[in-house]
Amino acid sequence: MRVPIHIIVNGEEYHLEVKPNRVLLDVLREDLGLIGTKKGCGLGKCGACTILLDGRPIHSCLLLAAQANRREITTIEGIAAEEPHPLQAAFVEKGAVQCGFCTPGMINAAKALLDANPDPDEAEIKLAIAGNLCRCTGYNQIVSAIQSCTPSTSDRPAAARGESNE
Amino acid sequence: MSELDRELDIVGKSYPQIDGMQKAMGKTKFVTDLVLPGMLYGRTLRSPYPHANIQNIDTSRARALTGVKAVVTYADTPGIKFGPRSEDWTIFAGDKARFYGDEVAAVAAIDEDTAEEALELIKVEYEALPFVTDPLEAMQPGAQLVHDDKPANIAAEFKVEAGDVDRAFDDSHIIYEERYYTNQVYQAYMEPMAALAEVDLSGRITLWTGTQIPNMMRMTYAKALGISPDNIRVIVPDYGGAFGAKMENNIHLVAAILAQKAQKPVKLVNTRHDDFIAGNPRVPMYIDIKLGATQAGVLTAKEVTVVGSAGARLVYSMVIVATACYRVDSLYRFQHVRSKGYTVYTNTVPTACFRGFGNSQMTFVLESALDMIADQLNMDPAELRIKNGIGPNETSIHGWKITSSGLKDCVIQATEKADWQKKRQQKEPLKGIGLACCNHVSGNRPFAREFDGGAGIVRVGRDGRVTVYHGESDMGQGQKTTFAQIAAERLGVPLEMVHVADVDTDISPFGLGSFATRGTLMGGNGVLAAAKDAFRQLAKIAAEILEARVEDIECRQGKFFVDGSPERSLPFREVAAQATFARHGAPVVGTGFYKPPTVLPDPDTKYGNISPAYPFACQIAEVEVDPNTGQVSVTNFVAAHDVGRAINPMATEGQIRGGITQGLGWTLMENMAYENGEIINPDFVDYIVPSALDVPDIKPILVEPVEPNGPYGAKGIGEPALNPTMAAITNAIYNATGVRVKKLPVSPEKLLSELKKKEAAD
Repeated sequence: MRVPIHIIVNGEEYHLEVKPNRVLLDVLREDLGLIGTKKGCGLGKCGACTILLDGRPIHSCLLLAAQANRREITTIEGIAAEEPHPLQAAFVEKGAVQCGFCTPGMINAAKALLDANPDPDEAEIKLAIAGNLCRCTGYNQIVSAIQSCTPSTSDRPAAARGESNE
Repeated sequence: MSELDRELDIVGKSYPQIDGMQKAMGKTKFVTDLVLPGMLYGRTLRSPYPHANIQNIDTSRARALTGVKAVVTYADTPGIKFGPRSEDWTIFAGDKARFYGDEVAAVAAIDEDTAEEALELIKVEYEALPFVTDPLEAMQPGAQLVHDDKPANIAAEFKVEAGDVDRAFDDSHIIYEERYYTNQVYQAYMEPMAALAEVDLSGRITLWTGTQIPNMMRMTYAKALGISPDNIRVIVPDYGGAFGAKMENNIHLVAAILAQKAQKPVKLVNTRHDDFIAGNPRVPMYIDIKLGATQAGVLTAKEVTVVGSAGARLVYSMVIVATACYRVDSLYRFQHVRSKGYTVYTNTVPTACFRGFGNSQMTFVLESALDMIADQLNMDPAELRIKNGIGPNETSIHGWKITSSGLKDCVIQATEKADWQKKRQQKEPLKGIGLACCNHVSGNRPFAREFDGGAGIVRVGRDGRVTVYHGESDMGQGQKTTFAQIAAERLGVPLEMVHVADVDTDISPFGLGSFATRGTLMGGNGVLAAAKDAFRQLAKIAAEILEARVEDIECRQGKFFVDGSPERSLPFREVAAQATFARHGAPVVGTGFYKPPTVLPDPDTKYGNISPAYPFACQIAEVEVDPNTGQVSVTNFVAAHDVGRAINPMATEGQIRGGITQGLGWTLMENMAYENGEIINPDFVDYIVPSALDVPDIKPILVEPVEPNGPYGAKGIGEPALNPTMAAITNAIYNATGVRVKKLPVSPEKLLSELKKKEAAD
């Protein structure tokens, strides 16, 4: 048995037929080739699969694809416009990326935070990414990268200020 | 001119990872992202018993399921015993399963759902057997044997003795004696272990996998499969962390056996559950320590007995126990030391490497013991370290040549930055500050007997594109960027012109891999040697065009010129093109290697010199203890590390912060819990690793005594980043509460009960 679904992913419409037990993560990765969303645990505890569903961060490993019907989904592949998103630039420049496996989910969690609260303090940032595990960096640089994308910082990376890297 | 004297353009500067934006954009293809045409999905059936006879396996129903392409068991393997250091592995459990999670069968199917369903259709008849999970119990007479041919379950013993230990204890003013225990913890890299295997018509196997040891792994697996190492090709795409775990593991071989049987490519990704129960977590250890000192605080003698649990087969636990036994002897000026180590089989998951490699376990114990000695002598713990710390140009008790040592500077700079004196003197209730030091290696001579250096290939194409090939492994630490900086510096080109190839054993040098904090020094020196060779070839062409002597040719920022006359220059690209044309299309390929000045330890005395360079560190933790819950918060952390010269300070600080965070998790949160031989918390629901909320602002300090044996003066950083963290935190807890933590981790319940005991006694 398959369920017809209609989803909008990164601005593109998809009409798909999915098995009712398939989670959104697998549909994104396997059917749509959007491998930027990662599977780290399958239990909603590591955050590597974090995507934005109608702008809110969710664990795509816990959501059935059928539950995403008629919803708008943004993955890491969809958050950059012509240039990388300021968060992407900040993560790279601040050394917030090591192995990079947590990075897409982490950036999505950060984007959801900044979209809802453009000027969070450090505690709010930490809380927003508390469900996203990173085993490489010790989080300091991730927090610092997110802080650098807030208006109250004087520490914005070049790309986030709309300047070129040179 | 020596490399160390050159003015540096690129080395020593903080660059983001050269592939960082790929990762941040979600474009990097990790091992688990790879797909090949016709690829099948593998799953492994694992033993639900810690110890059991396997009486029968019926795979008929699984094989009959639509979509299943292969079902394999021990009967489908060559049945050869093998192992990286022993011969106690088989690809699947044969007549006996020896741990909860032991590989029993595997399935390849058209999708993961089908593979999962097929696993449930495999019927295995087990006869449960008595089991043993604790290494001390396993050594007792009459204990259940894990392997029938190993009496008392002892898999390996290690001994070292130097000086006159008994006399030195007799002459000591004080002696501290205690038993410590360090628990089993899981590396928890974010990408689970995975392999993609393909077999060609000749039977040659290609394995795409995240591995720290692409070349050495082939040797082990060739033996297991009864084929030549030449018939195994390992390709290492980007992968999501390792921290020591991603060395040999049966899942790579299971993928290969499935691919052989199905004659199709098979991707096998551990579920997180499988990764917990059958990865290769840290070796748990019981450590008895006896430590003596004079009244003035000079360390007199040290004696340790280490009992480590190997789990059900040997991976690297015996080398890890050996490391625990004696590496710290070269941290201080010990003259009289005796160590005994026992590596003991148990019916638990096979244990292996995790950042620190045994030195972290012993550093926790030694640095705790030093704190107690300082306490008894009423001496500043920092002063005790400075008094005994090994310095540059000294030779340790085991023959290790300490070329550079920033240990003393690490203690001085860390204590200054943390305001140590003031905080120790004006102590507030339930707040504490603690300190710990460590040493480590940058490469480990005895790990592979044949050699211990590194090699590189630097290819310069017609258009000046530089590609670096190495045989180590970037598991996310940023090694590619480090190597690119070294090559760019030596060639004199901007960093953007240098690319670093994924390791492919068909193309790359035979590198030993990334372990023992060896990548930067060994691999970096190999890349440097190759870059020098490529530079010589290009300089010859440039000298002809510029009509100058080749030894006067310089290159900086992508321009060749005669030293002293930079106004007349040739673009690097132009020289690369001319070199290629002059050779009728042959690219400039520089190769080179580095042979470290190490000495293989004597088999009996262990006297030798295992590394060309030894990093040191001093870390300081501040904690607050909640007396009502026993909860410990780490509120501040200062970490001074002797890294030689940091090739990339930002990446180096990233290693320090990451290592400390793992150490913080180990100290306060992480524990693989067993009940009836079964790991009861094999997921991130019940096994908690630090989140952003648990980590303080970590303040790294780079202490940079230029290391004569390092590439541009660099030593390694991976493991020393974690080694002192546990003791720094528990020494801070002691300072805050008077409770000495002797068992890791110190959970809130445990600390609360200790606090109550203490309250009742006071």
